[in-house]
Parts: sequence; structure tokens; C-alpha cells
Amino acid sequence: MSIEPFNKLVKLTARAFYDDIPTKGENQPKTGRSDNRGIAVVVLDALSRRQWVREEDLAKDLKLHSKQLRRTLRFFEEEKLVTRDHRRETAKGAKVHNAAVAATGDGPPVKEGEEKVKMHTHSYCCLDYAQICDVVRYRLHRLRKKLKDELEDKNTVQEYVCPNCGKRYNALDALQLVSMEDEYFHCESCNGELVAESDKLASQEVVGDGDDNARRRRREKLKDLLQKMEVQLKPLMDQINRVKDLSPPEFGSLQAWEARASAARCAENGESSAMDPSKSSHGMGYGGTPMPFLGDTKVEVDFSGVEGKGKDIKSEADGTSLKVLPPWMIKQGMNLTKEQRGEVKQEQKMDGSASVAAPEFSEDKKFSTENNEKNIQDEYLKAYYAALIKRQQEEEAKKAQETQISDGPSAVSPNRRVGMKSKREDEGEDTVDWEEAPVTGNAENYKVHDLNVEADATADDEDDIDWEEG
Amino acid sequence: MFFHIVLERNMQLHPRHFGRNLRENLVSKLMKDVEGTCSGQHGFVVAITGIENIGKGMIRDGTGFVSFPMKYQCVVFRPFKGEILEAVVTMVNKMGFFAEAGPVQIFVSNHLIPDDMEFQTGDMPNYTTSDGSVKIQKDSEVRLKIIGTRVDATEIFCIGTIKDDFLGVINDPTTA
Repeated sequence: MSIEPFNKLVKLTARAFYDDIPTKGENQPKTGRSDNRGIAVVVLDALSRRQWVREEDLAKDLKLHSKQLRRTLRFFEEEKLVTRDHRRETAKGAKVHNAAVAATGDGPPVKEGEEKVKMHTHSYCCLDYAQICDVVRYRLHRLRKKLKDELEDKNTVQEYVCPNCGKRYNALDALQLVSMEDEYFHCESCNGELVAESDKLASQEVVGDGDDNARRRRREKLKDLLQKMEVQLKPLMDQINRVKDLSPPEFGSLQAWEARASAARCAENGESSAMDPSKSSHGMGYGGTPMPFLGDTKVEVDFSGVEGKGKDIKSEADGTSLKVLPPWMIKQGMNLTKEQRGEVKQEQKMDGSASVAAPEFSEDKKFSTENNEKNIQDEYLKAYYAALIKRQQEEEAKKAQETQISDGPSAVSPNRRVGMKSKREDEGEDTVDWEEAPVTGNAENYKVHDLNVEADATADDEDDIDWEEG
Repeated sequence: MFFHIVLERNMQLHPRHFGRNLRENLVSKLMKDVEGTCSGQHGFVVAITGIENIGKGMIRDGTGFVSFPMKYQCVVFRPFKGEILEAVVTMVNKMGFFAEAGPVQIFVSNHLIPDDMEFQTGDMPNYTTSDGSVKIQKDSEVRLKIIGTRVDATEIFCIGTIKDDFLGVINDPTTA
């Protein structure tokens, strides 16, 4: 299933037919600044590099306003180029999609951090390659037929339209329409005078002059038009002939695609069985079981800050999971694992954070003793992030004077880490942060205490801000 | 286009016609009923040319009418798309003109009249070329091509064009 010729078809189509389509509402005034012709092409091109994509993500990637993008997509939906899907889901549910996107290797990676209980309607869109082929072929056929018919005066059943009520007639109705009083046709329903409708391309400007060469000129114009069309659309026609016998790539519905994508990812990761259920049970656990303090990340961070005194319960277990380095960890972002492997300090630091994670885990265990392993992983992950933030807050607290300076990077970095946007940058900032860390403290186990102590006082409100940004 | 075909029809005959010339009565009634009618399927029935056979009559309960299944040969006229016909102009107006080819009405819209012919109003509205050599008015005979037909159950209407080679006026009533 080669997608390449189809993508080329999409791109050619975009440039041939949608190059100068303004996606503006009719009522909005047109200014030079707001002229957005060509966006259609950009959107189609972007879609040809993706499969199913959430429209918000696409808007973000294209740096478009989501409303504008939605208008463009709606237009394409009407043009039958794009299939869309809307569903109400939590941010959690959206993560399933993100995971699927990550599995295909394009689009933004998984955002583990954003978990909101609020339900949002998310729209997804995807190119419908099979339909695109049909639509484009039909469009070309109609173009050519219209021009040829007109050129040969074929099939020209004159149409008449009533200007009052908009009722349409054609020449075959002429007998009923003709009236005794005058020489015009009259509408059957409102007795208005019918006007001949000229939807012809060439006849429009020669309606007025009835001189001898009008017809010849019209024919020339039509011939010219037809020839131009053949020349200019040649690449497109070639391409559509090329893909005629290929089977178009089929993504199926959004759900099917997600299921398939995540299945494929599991297959390639090997440790698959734990992966998908963890995703689902993850969402279930939060939605279904009454764990108010585990409701979302924000709350969790606070909790670990307050309750941090009880610790080290499960650090061994977490440590082992860390050493194993399960695939989901790798998926999360390579910079993490590199740091873990590369630098001893960070390794130690990881242990510290793991111990912070422990109380949460134990709490969690009380409520849901089944799916232990998944919880371990999830909880570890969360605790790890929480610890990271705490770490940074600790630093902030240490250098209270230069808060502004050090806060910038440290506040940004957890978000970056969570979003996994730019890895190199992330790594750089992280290493800076962490190399500073040992200067502020001294031993390995101080961190546990320090973290908790500091977090109580300072961290919480800043936490909130950080996570909401994420 | 004309066809010679065999059609069937159930004829109901009043008992008063029973007698020696029942058959003649039947045939004359059939002609009266059928000739000049139009069916969407076969076209206009122009003339009955012969009777194939007349089946056994069935007396209908209650009325005394007898229905005879009749098979008859007839000539039908059915216009087709693309057919060339000769027709007589019956009405000319700004939108085009109407013509008749036997029982068939044909409308030629002004878009399908050659571009060099222009509409002239007056008590005898017509389409005339700029040099006045060709004129289409009421009672002109034109040769036209049918480009569309509308076939109802009991009616056929056509639209035609004279915008093609060898089409147009073939006999001008003013010169004849």
C-alpha cells in the first residue's frame, strides 16, 4: 500500500482546484491582511503527511487559528476530500489518540501530563483517499464535458428560471409556458416572466452583441479554454490515471484506525500486553474509582508534597522498574533514558524521586490492588514528574534571590518534558538544572527530606501554574 | 420515425351493435378510438392498416357490454432524439419558435437558432438573417433536428435545433 502517488495526487489537486479558494465567510470584509487564499493548499498538504489527526493539533502545527482551520476543513468535507469525526472525550481519551499518533511516528508525541476531567468535543480529520480519487476524476470529467458540449452545441436544453419564485423550467416545458398575451414564457405558479438562464461560460459576455462573428469568437474562446485545461491539468490527469489501478490507502474510521495503530505499536514494542490495558484501565481507574486525590495530576503533586513524610515504601520496586526501562519509558522521550543511562547524578536523583512516588503508590494500592504493574508504571511516572517539579522548586527556593532567572528554565522544562516537544533543548536545560542541584545540596538521601520539606512551603501554587501550562 | 406494428386492445361494444355487421362496427369503433392517440411507449397512432384477429367476446356482468380482444396492425409515429424532421412553423416568439411535424409539437429555442438570425417583432414576428435572405415566420417549413424529447403517458413533446449543417428553412411561404 504505497501512499506516495496518492499524496502527490492530493497535492496536485490542491494546487489545481483549491489554490485560490478563500475560506472566508461571505459576510466578512476582505482586506489584504485577512486574505487567506492558499491556506486550503497548506492544509491539504499537511493532511497528506498525516493520518487521523486532531484538529487542534493540526491547527497548532500549522500555526493557524482553529476556527479558520475548521472552516477550511468543513469546506473540504463538503468537497468530499476529508472525513471528519467528532466525539466527546476527556483529555484522557484524547491521549489514546495521541498514543496512536505517536505510534505512526508523526504528529506530536504523547502528552502524559495533561489530564483533565472536563469533557470536550474533539474533532478529528483525515484524508479519504479513495473518495478523493473518485471526486477528482468526476470533476475532471464534468469540466471536459461541459466545455465540449458547449463547443459542439450539444445537449443544450435551454433552461428558464422565474425571477420571482425561482422555479426552474427547461425548453421541454415550453408548450405549457407559452402564453397567449405576449411572446414571453410565463411561470406556471406565479405568472412571472421567465428569463433564459445562461450558465454557459463563453456566452456570458457576448450576450449583447449579436453580430456575425460572435459565434465564431465564442467557439474560439471555448476551444482555447478547453486546450488550456488540457495542458494545465495534464499532470493531474496523468496522476489520476497512474493511481487508477492502485488500491488507495484506507485508514478506516477513527476508532478502527486508533485501535490498529496502537496494536501495531504494541507489536513493535514487544512488551505489548501490558501497554494497552494499562491505557484503558488507567482511564477507568481515574474515572471509576473514588480517588479524589488521584483525580488529576495537579492534585497529585500537592498530595505528594503534603504527605511526603511517609516514604521509601516501594522504592525498591520502582527502582527495578526503572532499571528494566520498559518501552513506554522509551516512548516517552529519549532524553530521559539517555540521562538515566549517562549521568550518575541523575540516576541518583531518579531514586530520590522514586521514593517520593512511593506514598502515592501505596495509597493507590489500597484502592485497587489489581493491575498492580500498570499502576506501578503509571504511578511511577507521575511521581517522577512530581519529583521533577519539586526538584525545580527546591532549586528555586535555594536561590531565592535570583528567582526570576532560574525560574524561567526550570518552569519551562517540566512542560517541555511532558510535551516532549524539543528534545535537544530540553536536555540542555535539564542538565544545567541538575548540575546545579548537587551544589545546593550535598548527599544522596538529603533529597528525599529536602524535597518534601521544601515542597510543603513553596511549591504548590507554582505547581499549579506549571501544570496548567502543560 | 414511422413503424408498422401490431397492437392489441380490448374493445367494449354496446349490445345494440350486435348483429350482422358487428365486425364492421367493431373496426370502425376501434379506428375512432385509437387513431390520433398517443402513447408514450409507441408514439402517435397514425392509422390502422388491418385487423389481425378478433377474439371471443366476453359479456360483462351487469352491463351487457361485450369486450372483444382485438389485434390490429397500425402505423405509429415516434420521434427520437437526433432524428431529422421537416416541420411547419406554427408560432414565432422571442424565446424561439414552435413547429409541428404531423402530430408532434417541436420547440426550437432562440439559442438553437443560428446566431446570425435575429428576432424581428411586428404583426408577423420572425427570425431573419442580417441580409434578409432567410426568414423564419409562421407557416415556414423548416428542417430541424430533434435534440430532446419529453415523453409522457399520453403526450410527446420535442425540442429541436436548426443550428447545424443543412438545417433551416426549406420552403418560404412568402416566395411560394
